[in-house]
Amino acid sequence: MPPVVEAIDLHRTYRTTTGTFRRRSLEVEAVRGVSFAIEEGELFGLLGPNGAGKTTTIKMLITLLIPTAGQALVLGHDVVDDAHWVRERIGYVFGGDRGLYERLSALDNLRYFAELYGVEPRRQRARIGELLELVGLESREKERVEGYSRGMRQRLHIARGLLHDPPVLFLDEPTIGVDPVGARELRQTIFGLKAAGKTVLLTTHYMFEADALCDRIAVVTRGKIVAEGTPRDLKARVSDGVVVEIEVYGIENGKVESLRAIDGVTSVAVEDRDQAQVVVVQAEAGREPTHDVLARLDGVSLGRVTTREPTLEDAYVALVTEEPVAVDG
Amino acid sequence: MTSVRIFFVGGLISFRALFSFLRPEVYIPSMLVAPLFQILLFVYIGRSAGLESDEFFVIGNAVQYAAVPCLFAMTFTIGGERFQHTLGYILSSPAPRLPLFLGRALPVVVNGFFVAAFSLAVGGLIVGIHVPASSVAPLALATAICAFSCTGLGLTGAGIGLLLREQAVLANIMFGVLLIFTGANVPVDALPGWMQPISNALPFTHGIDAARQVADGASLSDVSGLLATEVALGLVYGAVGYVFIRNTERLSLRYATLDRA
Amino acid sequence: MRVLWRGFALHLKMMMRSSFDGLLGVLWPLFFATIAFLMFRAGGGGEALVFASFGAAVMGIWSSTSTSAGSAMQRERWHGTLELLVSAPVHFSTVLLPVTVAMSAMGLYSMIATLLLSRFLFGVDLPFEHPVSFAVAVVATVVSIGAMGFLLAVSFVRYRTAWALGNLLEYPVWLIAGFLVPLALLPGWVRPLSWVLAPTWGVDAIREAASGGGAWPEIALALTLGAAYLAVAIAVLETVLASARRAGSLALA
Repeated sequence: MPPVVEAIDLHRTYRTTTGTFRRRSLEVEAVRGVSFAIEEGELFGLLGPNGAGKTTTIKMLITLLIPTAGQALVLGHDVVDDAHWVRERIGYVFGGDRGLYERLSALDNLRYFAELYGVEPRRQRARIGELLELVGLESREKERVEGYSRGMRQRLHIARGLLHDPPVLFLDEPTIGVDPVGARELRQTIFGLKAAGKTVLLTTHYMFEADALCDRIAVVTRGKIVAEGTPRDLKARVSDGVVVEIEVYGIENGKVESLRAIDGVTSVAVEDRDQAQVVVVQAEAGREPTHDVLARLDGVSLGRVTTREPTLEDAYVALVTEEPVAVDG
Repeated sequence: MTSVRIFFVGGLISFRALFSFLRPEVYIPSMLVAPLFQILLFVYIGRSAGLESDEFFVIGNAVQYAAVPCLFAMTFTIGGERFQHTLGYILSSPAPRLPLFLGRALPVVVNGFFVAAFSLAVGGLIVGIHVPASSVAPLALATAICAFSCTGLGLTGAGIGLLLREQAVLANIMFGVLLIFTGANVPVDALPGWMQPISNALPFTHGIDAARQVADGASLSDVSGLLATEVALGLVYGAVGYVFIRNTERLSLRYATLDRA
Repeated sequence: MRVLWRGFALHLKMMMRSSFDGLLGVLWPLFFATIAFLMFRAGGGGEALVFASFGAAVMGIWSSTSTSAGSAMQRERWHGTLELLVSAPVHFSTVLLPVTVAMSAMGLYSMIATLLLSRFLFGVDLPFEHPVSFAVAVVATVVSIGAMGFLLAVSFVRYRTAWALGNLLEYPVWLIAGFLVPLALLPGWVRPLSWVLAPTWGVDAIREAASGGGAWPEIALALTLGAAYLAVAIAVLETVLASARRAGSLALA
């Protein structure tokens, strides 16, 4: 059976101009050769930091952007040549609180898109009712969207994406900005979609979300996929290493760079925490980098130092902070 | 079937969704009271300048004021998709584009006609002009045709508005041009020679002329040529606007022009 | 005084930067000036054109104030800065007044543009007999219209759609203040309204100074009315702020 969604070496370049008087044209490569395949019924995650090219990739798959190079197929049809055919069979939901008609009620928002997707007039009422119930908005359907919370808006987005009962769904950061309880409910809804047999492509920059929901994950950074596999595969990549965390108070970039040079160190990242920063150093199994690390941090004001086993989060951080040179391959 | 429903039902929903003037606290001052002030302003300037009759200015300004509902509503109901961030959803839907975009024009025409007819009736009453009963129906028809043709121009504006941030500024500028060129206040033959061809290519010029003639007792057949020209202009502007919108959509797929809001 | 001046300069700078909006600010009164000139020319022209030229020149000052003052507070509310401004240690009116005066000063662009249009495109022979009192009359007009805008801004602070009301006031003031139509043509009951409008005296002073008459009484009247608006506005503002603090409605966007 062919894959439901297939990206074959997708590229997308944007041309932007900057400056008011001396206009300079700049080419930005948002997506630089992305390939993956999603099987029927799979929940596939594109994971990556902001600006990694996730949204651009989705826009090409949902027929809103033409790839600069490469090809994308949905249910075996080309998204450029058969755009109309594809549009009838996909649902699209993006995150954030925009993208709804503020002055209309949830009901009217759904009615409008039911018309656009050609949902039969006789079926509309029942279908909208089902979806409002599915996303838990049935008691507030007649209120104007402008008074909705982020979580409610996001659930309405999902209901809208499901109106025409599409076999394939694209969810672009659906939990962004939603409070923790709302996000958990949303994840349950998304999991329910998979249970109902939908093929779902989900983008997120939350590691734990991808871990909890996805069958397979592709990690994207700087427009390329740097790793792909099940959450378990990704964890395995780092599971036999070691992580040292050092609390520091003010550290220059030069010092951080010098840590990368230590033999056996695979990645170095700096996270801000309250007044301090935490330097996270990952090293290959069997190494004990603490001593070397501390030696190179001579002169920096240090706090707590801990050594622990790597987590999935570390795997992700290692992948997206690796040197650009090391990304190839 | 789908197309018919997208045209009528979808068009009306988008009009309600995107035309922000529909709230009474905006609609009453902007759509019902402001045109009366405009009529009074020009009636008095006309008297002061010793130009034309009160009726001339009442009809000219009442009909021309339809430009506000027609231009603003048309620009907002299409260009506004971009600023509500709904454009992506619209364009990724399989909906046929002709009824999707043109359906939004129908409520705009109806509302534009209502605004013009209201200001014509109330303005006429305040200033005290008399129109014979037999002229009312032809006058209404001329007004409706003007609302139609100006909505055509509004579609062109909507196309341009998709690419611009300042849609209201654009609509205001078009309003000002119409106020100067269409003979609403300055008789077209009193305009400098180079302006007159522009007047004849704009909506309203022929319709306002026809409206004034039927108010003075001319029959519909006397002004049928003027009204036909007015309809034709509306169709041309509407078609230009639609082609422009479709082109923008195509360009956006290639160059992501609509992505940066 | 320093606070007032700095606020004025800052807002003038900000407004001058938003180019497309600024373009409309100049163009909009020019549309109406052009129509008025064409109408007066078609109607015979002469002295009436001179009368209309100075009136049309002031239209832009009122337009730029009325269309933006109504929404000035709304915009601050939108940006979430209203609360910050109210809680600043200086009195709120010293924050708001420079904003509305800057708005009316923006109208000077269209004033100059209108006079150039009249002189060079329509060939109207504009007199400039007393440059000094002319300049003072223009400043007095700008300041008193700015004060009027301040009164509008504080009166409309409760309306989320204040811009619609501000726009609505554009035409009637043009008419009632006698910018284009001599007051004698208007119905008698309108007369008292005209008298309490500062722009009525401002435009009168400008015409007098230009044609060689004594403009000082009109200038004084315009400024006195401006000061009166200010006093009323500050009283209104006190009430509004007090009730807003009680109801917690400042941040409500």
